[in-house]
Amino acid sequence: MSSSIERSFVQQLQENQNLIHKICRLYTNNEDAHKDLFQEITIQLWKAFPQFRGEAKFTTWAYRVALNTAITLYRKKTRTISTIEFDSKIHRFNQDEYNYEEEEHIKLLYQAVQQLNDIEKALVFMYLEDKDYTEIAQTLGISEVNARVKMNRIKSKLKKILNP
Amino acid sequence: MDELDKLKNHWKQNEPRFPQISEKEIYGMLHKKSSSIVRWILIISILEFVFQVGLTLLLNDNTGAQPLHNLNIDYIMIPMTVIGYGIILYFVYVFYMRYKKISATDNVKTLMANILNTRKAVSNYIYTNLAFIIVSFVVLVFVLFNTDPDLINAIQKSEANGEKITFYLTIFVFLVICIAIFIVLVWLFYRLLYGFLLKRLNRNYDELKKIDF
Repeated sequence: MSSSIERSFVQQLQENQNLIHKICRLYTNNEDAHKDLFQEITIQLWKAFPQFRGEAKFTTWAYRVALNTAITLYRKKTRTISTIEFDSKIHRFNQDEYNYEEEEHIKLLYQAVQQLNDIEKALVFMYLEDKDYTEIAQTLGISEVNARVKMNRIKSKLKKILNP
Repeated sequence: MDELDKLKNHWKQNEPRFPQISEKEIYGMLHKKSSSIVRWILIISILEFVFQVGLTLLLNDNTGAQPLHNLNIDYIMIPMTVIGYGIILYFVYVFYMRYKKISATDNVKTLMANILNTRKAVSNYIYTNLAFIIVSFVVLVFVLFNTDPDLINAIQKSEANGEKITFYLTIFVFLVICIAIFIVLVWLFYRLLYGFLLKRLNRNYDELKKIDF
């Protein structure tokens, strides 16, 4: 592939890397695994880049490939390291609106989401990213009605995890 | 407001601060080897095909198969070899066509189905080949009983001693045990290998099917 295509890809990925980071955050539980998944997503995006014709936004196209990689293609390494340090680094609130109680609650919410299975995490991710149910259903390959039903079940499940 | 909406508010207002990856690092990543499950399936499948073809070639090797050639049983060896290669060619074609269909831009369910289908092509090949090896083995044993002078001699001796049934029974039990051990070993190997490799994929695919019952 020519270097201009490579440059365009790297530039777009660099600008939109937070999207990939957010997916890695949901699907991994330590910094090494996060980096490893980020790399695999980058490779898969690069492999699929010739199919990206610019009809959709880069982010719209990229998040589907990234989710597919996280759920299906990525082979998890068995090694696990404590997540505490990493969590505190990325969930820190902006200093001017720091609220200890709320931060604790948000941390618990993230921990609850971590307990969901891979498919449920994908639904949560798309919900948090404000995707509508048509897009959620299309991305997962399920019907819109079933996507809604599943999302309601996930909400109940999270409530149960947080209030056992 | 439910829990997930609280998280959504936080998600939007407080974009998590991730350590940023530089362009240079991204360039480096582009040239790294993928460790995706599809790549592993491809590598293992190629190894399986190579192993099976190697085994077939070894069995047909001039020196190895010399005793069989001496028995003049080409009428059975040639069709068996043709069928053996036919099986390989057919499954390599099916595997390649299915492998080409795998795309990370598909929806999650289609991607999973395509990967499992590709994998299925290889397992179908393994099962077909196993069946073919067992049938060939049985046919060869049957042919040898009728053509191999040493075996014919042994049968005649056992007949003279009145041990014909014991002789056949011993051979039969021995063959059954050999085939059973062979099948169990291959089955165990694949259970371990693909159980480990495809566990997560199968679980997620089942979850999606469950949602979309």
